[in-house]
Amino acid sequence: MKSVRRIFSQIMVVALVLAGLTAARVIAKPISYVGGTMIMQENDETGYTLTVDHTLTPKVAIGFYGKKEIHGDKFTVGGPQVNTLVRRWNLPDGQGNIFTMTGVGVAQRNGAGPNNTQFAAWTSLLADYETRRIFTSYELRLMYAQHIEKSAWQRARVGFAPYLGNYDDLNTWIMLQVDHYPAKSRATSITPLIRLFYKSFLAEGGVNTRGEVLFNWVQQF
Amino acid sequence: MRNVLAILSTLLVLAASAARAETIVITVNGMVCAFCATGIEKSFKKQTAVAAIKVDLESKKVTAQTKPDVLLADDVVTKLITDAGYAVVDIVRQP
Repeated sequence: MKSVRRIFSQIMVVALVLAGLTAARVIAKPISYVGGTMIMQENDETGYTLTVDHTLTPKVAIGFYGKKEIHGDKFTVGGPQVNTLVRRWNLPDGQGNIFTMTGVGVAQRNGAGPNNTQFAAWTSLLADYETRRIFTSYELRLMYAQHIEKSAWQRARVGFAPYLGNYDDLNTWIMLQVDHYPAKSRATSITPLIRLFYKSFLAEGGVNTRGEVLFNWVQQF
Repeated sequence: MRNVLAILSTLLVLAASAARAETIVITVNGMVCAFCATGIEKSFKKQTAVAAIKVDLESKKVTAQTKPDVLLADDVVTKLITDAGYAVVDIVRQP
């Protein structure tokens, strides 16, 4: 069991370091184009997340999800994940989507103890709608890691583009993010942020109302 | 003699059209995000038939320039767009 724990720790450390020491939920659509690979990385007051997805079909992507949780009970969780597009609306001036992201893996709490390495499973539902001017999204994530973590988390975002960027332009978005973690001591977090993207690279940063910094990035290949 | 001339002129027309590059203009629904639409550019660039590709969110059009002597069929164009997550409204070919 110790060797499993050690190997799992090493894999997670390598993955997080490779990502630039980062943590993961969804900041871009979890399915890109068939044959495309995407690295998503989030850093905020809850921890560091890394997601790597490879799109197999227009409706399915597979990948890896890992997070080092630093908010409350400190633990690391990771494992393979499947993303599915449940429904998409391609409209003349907008696009709406419903996605699910589901994975299983291992969670490991910091320190030694009898229940510090546990089976983990998680699932998310993400809905979004955007035009060239406005953006809205809602995500609900459930995490189960036996004795380590049983939690629900939800996030809503609204945003607008101050100018209409075209494909070859630097695109800028002003967004407001609200996170709600009912199980945590600081249950609600409100973060104004700026999102910038150019071609296949996206980065966003903000500071929440408690002064904690958020920085996320996504690269498509 | 008239038949020979007709055959020759047909062959000339076919040869000229085969050697010509084509511009394919595709109207696409759902293409509102430049970051997400990079999949379209990447997918088209992987096609050996494609010489150049332009994505325009304003007009909702993707314009593909083909190489001479190579055909990029409508069903291939439609699959590339749908595999990138979008819906084709129409495809117009210009010589």
